[in-house]
Amino acid sequence: MQTKRTIFGNRWLPYLLLAPQLAVTVIFFLWPAGQAVWQSFLREDAFGLKTSFVGLSNYTRLFDNAEYINALKVTLVFSVSTAALALISSLLLALALDRTIRSSRVYTTLLVWPYAVAPAIAGVLWWFIFNPTIGIMPYLLERVGYDWNHALQKGDAMALVIIAAAWKQISYNFLFFVAGLQSIPASMREAAAIDGAGPVKRFWTITLPLLSPTTFFLLVVNVVYTMFDTFAVIDATTGGGPAQATMILVYKVYDDGFIGLNLGSSAAQSVILMGIVIALTIIQFRYVERRVTY
Amino acid sequence: MAAITIENVGKTYAGGVPAVQGIDLNIRDGEFVVLVGPSGCGKSTLLRMIAGLEEITEGTVRIGDRVVNRLEPAERDIAMVFQNYALYPHMTVRQNLSYGLKNRGTPRDEIVRRVDEAARILEIGAYLDRKPRALSGGQRQRVAMGRAIVREPSAFLFDEPLSNLDAKLRVTMRGEIRTLQRRLGTTSVYVTHDQLEAMTMADRLVVLRQGRIEQVGTPLDVYRNPVSTFVAQFIGSPSMNLMSGTVRAGEVRVADAVYPAPGVPDGAVTVGLRPEDFALVPGGARAGMPARLVNIEELGSQRLGYFRVGGETVVASFPAGQVLSTEMTLYPDLSRLHLFGADERRIDPAPLRAGAV
Ligand SMILES: Nc1ncnc2c1ncn2[C@@H]1O[C@H](COP(=O)(O)OP(=O)(O)OP(=O)(O)O)[C@@H](O)[C@H]1O
Ligand SMILES: [Mg+2]
Repeated sequence: MQTKRTIFGNRWLPYLLLAPQLAVTVIFFLWPAGQAVWQSFLREDAFGLKTSFVGLSNYTRLFDNAEYINALKVTLVFSVSTAALALISSLLLALALDRTIRSSRVYTTLLVWPYAVAPAIAGVLWWFIFNPTIGIMPYLLERVGYDWNHALQKGDAMALVIIAAAWKQISYNFLFFVAGLQSIPASMREAAAIDGAGPVKRFWTITLPLLSPTTFFLLVVNVVYTMFDTFAVIDATTGGGPAQATMILVYKVYDDGFIGLNLGSSAAQSVILMGIVIALTIIQFRYVERRVTY
Repeated sequence: MAAITIENVGKTYAGGVPAVQGIDLNIRDGEFVVLVGPSGCGKSTLLRMIAGLEEITEGTVRIGDRVVNRLEPAERDIAMVFQNYALYPHMTVRQNLSYGLKNRGTPRDEIVRRVDEAARILEIGAYLDRKPRALSGGQRQRVAMGRAIVREPSAFLFDEPLSNLDAKLRVTMRGEIRTLQRRLGTTSVYVTHDQLEAMTMADRLVVLRQGRIEQVGTPLDVYRNPVSTFVAQFIGSPSMNLMSGTVRAGEVRVADAVYPAPGVPDGAVTVGLRPEDFALVPGGARAGMPARLVNIEELGSQRLGYFRVGGETVVASFPAGQVLSTEMTLYPDLSRLHLFGADERRIDPAPLRAGAV
């Protein structure tokens, strides 16, 4: 791709223009990240009087900790399910739009609204919908014979946070899928139709492969989202419970650090999370440029 | 192999604008028919109705002896070559060619045989394992052709398949497509807005105008006997000169010259003359038109002279090296003189027609 180069008269001007962004990055990202890394090598005693350097001990302890291993598993289930649910539903919506109303602005706009909703509000919204005493869903579920209670049932709690988290992400994915679908030339599908591929076969052999760059990009974005941005969703609905069933990594960082006041361990956990994101981002950049492009 | 019969076909898009109306056309088995006309005249729409990509809102289309109106594109036994080739970018050339056969459950060794055969005919064997993006425009064009021929369909449909190629390659490819089509004997419908492509490739030309057929005929027939000023100007390059004239008592007066027009009713007419139908010396008893030279274009093989003739601009072509001077007299070939009435339709004065072939 051709990048446009701008020539600045004053050689300091570009730095000056970048300064606010750099300041924000340094103050709100690099500085706390550095702090976290430093913290993760320290341990405070029970009364917060003495802080000592303990090397990698905070990390090694984590992997001996059953609760942390549980959080890893919960995060895996939560991330994969949320990403899958968000991707599949948004793709279905995008296909419906692409098929029928190519240019209906209203429909598109309505579908985009959830993205503008803050995660905590999304959480509360779904918490109300699924509230065992006043919610509409438990009422409906009861009619088909299911006794919903996410305050007691681990599975129900997981389902609730997955739905709430996925719902918020659907609109974002939807926009990308619509753009992706519209960029596939109509003649491609027509050629496939003439080549004897029915709608289903066309989807699997033409549309989906051609969408793969979009899908892969969204997969990474969604996984990153479920690992971090869903903190508020969890906090507003289950608070990690019941019995740690929805205790995802990012919530555990908060729980251990701010509730349990185990700062060293909490810092180590956030460094691990940071590592995961960096890894995901690297994978995305490498793959988007290579294999996934056709 | 099949004939295509189009009866009273029309298409009205959502919104009520008729794109194509009242098309009657019989395409014979093995024939190469070119649909030609200016942008927006409905060529693609008509082709896509034959292909099944556009619903037919009126009339019937028959391929072979089947009415195909209600059939899916895949069931119509046709293959189409698109303007942008529409090759599947994530598949290799071999997979592109095999896709249609696979979908139809062709046995594996039969697929291999047909793909190899097509690759040999089109000389694309060397790139069978490449993806389309690693091919040049001309090579992609061949692959698109290959995808059409492996299926051995009863008809080929082409929608401006050469318009993305450079001028030189276009000339080569049009020859190749025609040679290939003759060899396979497959009925073909070819859409283009390029009149030269239409003239050089067609067994029969169909000139479309605003969704209707203006004229159908062999290229030479259409060239020599255009039914209207529209066809006269559209076919041929440079296009036919059209001058206003008046008919009185069986004679037409144009640019101060008078020519016989027996049997033509009195009134205003349009006189058409092709650039190559002018001479600089009188032959027989022909009257000349006084002309003033304004510009010369050199084409190498010939020179084009632009003249002012009685207030109108006239183009005439001459052999290379023909000397042209500022004030000259142009003598039209009377056997090639076309007359069009006020309704822009051709008027044939019987005696003139005799010498017109
Ligand atoms: N999907 C559509 N909806 C509404 N009108 C359409 C649609 N497709 C084409 N038309 C209209 O139908 C008419 C014929 O279009 P068509 O594409 O057949 O023209 P064409 O002869 O192929 O032109 P070109 O040489 O530019 O490709 C045009 O007036 C066009 O605006
Ligand atoms: Mg067209």
